[in-house]
Amino acid sequence: MTSRTLGGMRAGAIAVALAGLLGTATLLAGPSVSAQTPTTPLPSATPATPSEAEALAVEHELLCPLCVNERLDVCSLAICNDMKRIVRERLAEGASAEEIIQFFEQRYGPKVRADLPRRGFNLILFGWVGGALLATAAAATFVLLSMRRATRRRAASAAPPPDDAGLDALIAEATGDEAGGAERGAR
Amino acid sequence: MDVTATLGASALVTALAAAFLAAVAATVGHARRQPRLLGAGRRAIEATAVLTTMAVGALAYALVTNDFAIAHVASVSSRNMQLEMKWASLYSGQPGSLLFWTWTMSLLIAAFTRITVPRIPWAAPHAIATAGLVLTGFLGALVFLASPFRLSAVTPPDGQGLNPLLVDPGMLIHPPFLLAGLVSTSVPFVLGTAALLSGRLDGAWIRHARGWALASFLVLSIGNLLGAWWAYTVLGWGGYWGWDPVENSAILPLLPITAFLHTLMVQERRGMLKTWNLVLVLAAFALAVFGTFNVRSGLVASVHSFAQSEVGAYFLVLMTVTIVVSVALIAWRVPRLHAEADLEALASRETGLILNSYLFVAIALVILGGTLFPVISELFRDIRVTVGPPFFNRVVGPLLALVLLLISLGTVLPWRGGSSRQHVRRLRAPALVLVTSAIALGTLGMREPVALVATSAAIVVGYVTLREFLVGARGLRAARSISWPVAVVGLPGRDPRRYGGYLVHLGVAIIAIAVVGSMVYQEQTRAAIAPGESFEASGYTFRYEDLVARQPGVNGIEVEGLVVLHVERDGRPVATLRPGRRFFSNFPEQPVAIVAVHSNLQRDLYVFVQGWNAQRRAEIQVFMNPLVTWLWIGGGVYTLGGLLAFGVAGRREPVRAEIPAPAGTEPA
Repeated sequence: MTSRTLGGMRAGAIAVALAGLLGTATLLAGPSVSAQTPTTPLPSATPATPSEAEALAVEHELLCPLCVNERLDVCSLAICNDMKRIVRERLAEGASAEEIIQFFEQRYGPKVRADLPRRGFNLILFGWVGGALLATAAAATFVLLSMRRATRRRAASAAPPPDDAGLDALIAEATGDEAGGAERGAR
Repeated sequence: MDVTATLGASALVTALAAAFLAAVAATVGHARRQPRLLGAGRRAIEATAVLTTMAVGALAYALVTNDFAIAHVASVSSRNMQLEMKWASLYSGQPGSLLFWTWTMSLLIAAFTRITVPRIPWAAPHAIATAGLVLTGFLGALVFLASPFRLSAVTPPDGQGLNPLLVDPGMLIHPPFLLAGLVSTSVPFVLGTAALLSGRLDGAWIRHARGWALASFLVLSIGNLLGAWWAYTVLGWGGYWGWDPVENSAILPLLPITAFLHTLMVQERRGMLKTWNLVLVLAAFALAVFGTFNVRSGLVASVHSFAQSEVGAYFLVLMTVTIVVSVALIAWRVPRLHAEADLEALASRETGLILNSYLFVAIALVILGGTLFPVISELFRDIRVTVGPPFFNRVVGPLLALVLLLISLGTVLPWRGGSSRQHVRRLRAPALVLVTSAIALGTLGMREPVALVATSAAIVVGYVTLREFLVGARGLRAARSISWPVAVVGLPGRDPRRYGGYLVHLGVAIIAIAVVGSMVYQEQTRAAIAPGESFEASGYTFRYEDLVARQPGVNGIEVEGLVVLHVERDGRPVATLRPGRRFFSNFPEQPVAIVAVHSNLQRDLYVFVQGWNAQRRAEIQVFMNPLVTWLWIGGGVYTLGGLLAFGVAGRREPVRAEIPAPAGTEPA
């Protein structure tokens, strides 16, 4: 009885740890945006004037309105060159990055935003991600635990305590299959 | 009448009939117990392969002879294209790629019916019928909706030529690998379905599926690696993986296949996870079909263009049928899919493999959601959004770090568990390596938590894997009294499957470190300068000598403009790079970048030109991408490991033991 509770506790702890790992992974996720787009003016070696680095940082947040998934800073279409010019002009006027992004969003639609905002209809996607992670974590935990439970059940029935084993055999011999029947009934 | 087109089209129609006949013959043969009909079905599958090969031959002939009466030939090739580039024309465009896809599939399935079907008599009719139906589905689209042999209304004097982005030597190998990789998921699918239909659901189908799944895994991986390399050297945006819908579609089927290669070991050794393994192979094929056709049919570009394309609707129906039938089959057989053994300990290799396979499925679900979300948004509110690298890196990055951690756990923990004291002893050193590398990297200035965890985890994978090699080699050396190098090299030969797998893990670790390095420490510099001027980027001086023009006169290229750049460091010359732009006569709106890269083991200097004005003042961008060479080295190690893992696939298969044995003498 005790060992079963202990086993259950251990299994529970593993389930919690698993959920915790996934949770941590999602939490850690927040700041990694900059991992993909080095928005911060990284190296001192960059000869760009501060406004050039700033312009690059804003351009990393924007996409070409005509190509699929092409970042503004690396696109050479005429429309993108115009956008880059406007980014610099607006920055010189003192506009914030978000203001500039919103300006282009109004002009060309939400598809020019590189990072999907976490609000409104888009929450469906984030809900899907959370749901998918939770569902697979739950499924994995359930599968592991049920496999484990089946093992314990079978182990308990297959191997009676060694002390009683001989006794059981003797009883069985003496009384036909009554003992076996009793054992089955107990289970 | 165009003889080539007529020949090709009739070959396709006949192939369609043959594939359908194969399915009918196998079904009737099975129902009436007539082995002769079954043989006819097998030959019909082989005939399908021969006929599609004839169709490909006809199209190739039309391309080589500039037969522009055929609309497809006129739209993807032109007179001044080099012969080798016409190989790329063969599989470009909707009809071309569909033909290539169906052709590869018919060859693979014919090989499967020759090699594997005779060894699985218990499921031979089911396998042939399934294979025939799958081929019928694709040939139907090819014959009725997207025939590459349709004639032009008016024969043009010259063709349009290949899409500018595809005019690159990389295009000669990357798409065939990718398409073949996607197609190859069909063989494990056919095997899994045949096992379900026949009702024999023990380890037998798994033994035969492994080799095919491994081939699929390897070809798909190579296709993706080549795709990354092509994107890096041709697209000119400084990176190799952009989480583009096309890239996502190519990586999606790889995830369940990878999971399957791992969990099949659990079924082989322990008789567990029977349902899960079937789910994985069926899902891989469904994702491959989904991926190819959501890209080819324009679903990704716009819902509206998809709705208008006949092929799109056709494949939507085909996809739905595949998924519904798969789910129904599994649901029907669930009562027979109970495990033969139990999980003896939670802290065991089985657990590691099970967790990792669920993690792969979670990653696939996330990527699928992100890929489809723009379509869903457009469908329900008519607003197009972009789900790109920021989203995917943030969500998938941590999951991949978790995969790396689980690789080590799975390698270190023994099958069936063991005592907790054993676990402590086995896990102590890897945990120490993990913590030490995390502290070291943190001290060195790595501040990104996910990058820190991923890099440390990759280092642990490297450590654990190399330790396995050393421990194995020590054992071999002691047993055979041979020298260390001989032992290390001879080790994989002893158990290719195991050490091949380890090498793949090592490749993954190297790739992970390269990816983190190139993402976190990338530097970008932009300069607009005139000839004679120079600029500094990432510690290098770039001197712009002049703008030169080049006219190769082939492949529809009108002219190439090249910026001659001398790269120096501390006054010493490093390289002369010639980035530029390529202009096409038939696609004046679509110039492409010519990327110049200078690589060494530490970093790539990746240079491209965005344009120039009349005074030759050029806008030049330099990316300093650390460690990218290691990405390709890691890819090489990965591929080598994958190849090595085939070693046992042949040797382990108890071929003779499985030829129809009298009942009761089934192989264990």
